[in-house]
Formats: sequence, C-alpha cells, structure tokens
Amino acid sequence: MKLRNLEYLIQEAFIGIWRNGIMAVAAVSTVALSLAILGVFLLLVLGSHRFVERQLAGFEVAAFLPREASQEDAEKVRDTIAKLPLTKNVELLSRDKEWAEFKRKMNTKIDLGGVTDNPLPYALHIESKDPRKTAALAQQIREIPGVKRVADAREDYRVVRAVADLVKLLGFAASVVLCLTTVFIISNAIRLTLFARRHEIRIMQLVGATNWFIRIPLVLEGIILGALGAVIAVGLVAVSLEYVAGLVVRMLPPTLRDVSSGVSHTQFIALLVLGGAAIGALGSFISIRRFLKV
Amino acid sequence: MIELCDVSLVYPNGVQALSHVDLRVGRGDFAFLVGTSGSGKSTLLKLLYRELSPTEGKVFIAGQDITTLPQNAVPFLRRRLGVVFQDFKLLPQKTVWENLAFVLRVTSVPRREMRKRISEALDLVGLMHRCDSFPAELSGGEQQRAAIARALVNNPPILVADEPTGNLDPDTSWGIMQILTRINARGTTILVATHDNQVVDRLMRRVIALDCGKIVRDENRGTYSSTPESESMCKSEITES
Repeated sequence: MKLRNLEYLIQEAFIGIWRNGIMAVAAVSTVALSLAILGVFLLLVLGSHRFVERQLAGFEVAAFLPREASQEDAEKVRDTIAKLPLTKNVELLSRDKEWAEFKRKMNTKIDLGGVTDNPLPYALHIESKDPRKTAALAQQIREIPGVKRVADAREDYRVVRAVADLVKLLGFAASVVLCLTTVFIISNAIRLTLFARRHEIRIMQLVGATNWFIRIPLVLEGIILGALGAVIAVGLVAVSLEYVAGLVVRMLPPTLRDVSSGVSHTQFIALLVLGGAAIGALGSFISIRRFLKV
Repeated sequence: MIELCDVSLVYPNGVQALSHVDLRVGRGDFAFLVGTSGSGKSTLLKLLYRELSPTEGKVFIAGQDITTLPQNAVPFLRRRLGVVFQDFKLLPQKTVWENLAFVLRVTSVPRREMRKRISEALDLVGLMHRCDSFPAELSGGEQQRAAIARALVNNPPILVADEPTGNLDPDTSWGIMQILTRINARGTTILVATHDNQVVDRLMRRVIALDCGKIVRDENRGTYSSTPESESMCKSEITES
C-alpha cells in the first residue's frame, strides 16, 4: 500500500464521520453511555473488593501470658513471635496503659475500688502477613512456651471471609456480563451505521475496490468513534464520581468511607479509551464482513 | 472482446435465467441487448462483471476465462470494465468529482493524472460544471451522465450498461445514447441492455434479442421489435416449465 493511499484512507475515515453525522453521533453516544456505566460499575466492584480485603487484613491474633510472667519473659515471647515467618507485626501492650483503660471503661459499671494491684497479664497483638493464614499463625503462637492463651477471632473471620468471597464472586460475574453487554451494544450501534451505508459499500465493490480498500476507512472510523465515545465516558464517570458518589460516601460512617478502587486516574482513562478504540475496531471489522459478502 | 460459450444459469430458487447462450461481441462493437423484463438481459450483464457466475459454460472477457477467477481477483476484473446501471449507483456522500476520483484512487493513479482523466471524462459527458455537486443535487440525466463518466474514467476497453435510460425521459435518453455512440467511436466496446425501442430503432445497431434466457435474434443492423413467433415461444416455454 502506497503512502498516498494511506493518507487518502485516513482522510476518508474523517470525511465519512463528518458526512454521516447523525449516525456518528448515535454511535458515539452509545459508546459513551455504555462505557460510562461499565466504568462506574468496575470502579465500584474494585472498591468493594479492596474494602473487604482491608477488613480481612484487620484481623489480629492476641496472645496472653500467665499473670506471673515478667516484663523480661514477655519480651522474650515477643521476639520469638517476631521471628515466625507469618508474622507481619507484633506489639507488646503496656500493662499499665491497658489497666488504666480498663478502669476508665468499667468504672461506671462495676466497682473496682477493692482492686489495687494490676491484675492484667502481659498481652501481645500480632498481625499476620496473610490474613488467610491467621489461624495457622495462632496455632504456632499457641505452641510457644510461656504463652498461656491465644485468641484469633476465628468465627468472626470465617463470616467476614464468606461475605468477602461472595462480594468478589458477584462483582466478577456482573462485570463479565456487563462487559459482554457493552461489547454487544456497541457493535450493534456500529452495525447500524454500516447498514445505513451498505449501498455505498456495494457500489465501491462494483467499481473495483478491493475489500481492504473499503474496510480500512470504516475500521478507522470505528476506532475514532470508539475512542471519542470513551473520552466522553471518562468525563461522565468523573462527574458522577465527584458529585454523586461524593454525596453517598458522606452519608456513610467514617470506617466505611474509604471505598476508593486503588486504580490511578491515568490507568483508568487509558483502559477506557483503549477499550473503546478496540471495541470500535473489532465491532467494525466484524460487522463489515457481513456487508462485504457478495 | 466478450464471449459466452454455452452459458446456462439457474438461480437457487430454480428459475432458469439463461439457457445455452452463445454470444460474441467483437472489439469496438456496439450492441443492444433487448427483450422483455425477465428475459435474462440483466443476468447476462451480471455474468460479465462477475456479480454472478454461470452454472454451466464459460465467460471470456478479453480472452480471459472469468468463470474460474478467484474472488479476490474480481475487483481487478471490474476495473477493466465500465459498468453503468439503471439506478446510477453513485456514492451519495461524495461529489461527482469524488465519485470519479474514487475509481482512480482504487487503482493508485497519480494525482496529476487523476485530475486530467476526470476532466476528460466529465468533458465527454458535458458535466464539468456540476463536478462539485452531490448526486442528490443532480437531475436523473445528469446523474446518469456522471455514472457514465465514472465508468469511463479508467479507460476500460469495454462498457456495459444495464437499462441506462430506464429512468429517463425520451429526450434525455437520446442524449445519453449519443454519448455512448461517441464513446464507441473512440474504440470502446459497448453492450447496452435496454427496452427503449425508440432509441434502438433510431440507432440501427447490432441487436441481440433475448427471450426466456435464450438468444432468439441477432441482427447486425436491427430494430427493437421482435417477430411474433418469438413472443409465442416464450409463453409456451413458461407453461412447460
């Protein structure tokens, strides 16, 4: 293919969009709306995914020493736990601080006047590297000499884990369905624009144009319209997140507010625009085949 | 230039459009293909630009057997053949000039050469002054002249026209036919399917009459009107089939 031809074919793509204005607007708005819905949905799925992961990571193991254990014993146990491969972080709690806190909380409910000596044992908070292996870590700590009792909130963890898995599964399934729907809607819009021009395609064939010569400008048009629709979709997503999601999030309790997806703006924009262009190209390519058949 | 050897064509629905047609149109000839609607005129022309392939027999264009042509070679056959249609088939989103330019773009003709050839073709049909108009802004006669110019712009050795005056009034039709005879005088082989009896009778050229898919008459200087026998023959064949 000569350079002059390529230049002409690209020019043809733009002229095609300009002279088929209404169909182009229809295709672009279809792409924009469906990609915006898909985009917002994917961000929500990613956000909730990240949220439940964070909740899971919050589960800690608590280890308690016998009452007679000294500060030295406690530090020894702490160092042993720190060396375990599953340990991410271990904190030795201060007995005095805990006692003060306990008294402050309980003072109004029970009379602690008779207790003068601090009755609390040394306690440690351990964070696991892998929230899934919290139970295994708890078991390992239980076997360390000098540890009296280990609490790992296993039941609570199991419930949250199940909810998290369900959220992820539903999010994934719905994403797949919505992705397929989006591709279908967009390629349908492209097929309509091509259907409106099927006579044009036919005439080009009759005057001796090769299929590639007909196809290239139309596929380019598909890419341009897809990318254009995606750019508008990015705008729609930005606006809806800024104003609508902002309002919703402010109504939630503070612990639930951080539902950001963890996807950077550039990543998201690139993903949507490239996705739009790819769907545009693929949709045109597949739809043209039908009209190129004699 | 054009040669059909024992060509038969049966459509998928079982209709026999052509049966055992033998035809030769020599270089520089001007021939009319006449017959009633459904006699097989359009089918015969469609065989020439490979819109259809015969179920039997062979079709030669400039000595080349086009029935065995692979699908991806068909565009190249069409570039050697100018085709004019009853409904003009101009690209509606392109101006007259761009319609002609498209044909040349397809064959990668240099820009300067392109301008020269388009001007020549438009001059020949007398449409230079409407070159920036879109097809919808032209009258029927002007659209057909634009279509003829498009068919010519590649300088094809053969020009095929399917009812080129079917949608036009008698005066305009006569103008179109004069353009075709002018093109023929330059050496282009022309085959015109028509049922415009006035034009055929006035020009007194070669007339090939088709009836129910068979050639029933082939006269070097003929008129449109068919003999009564051929008409009755068609009716009897229809009842037979």
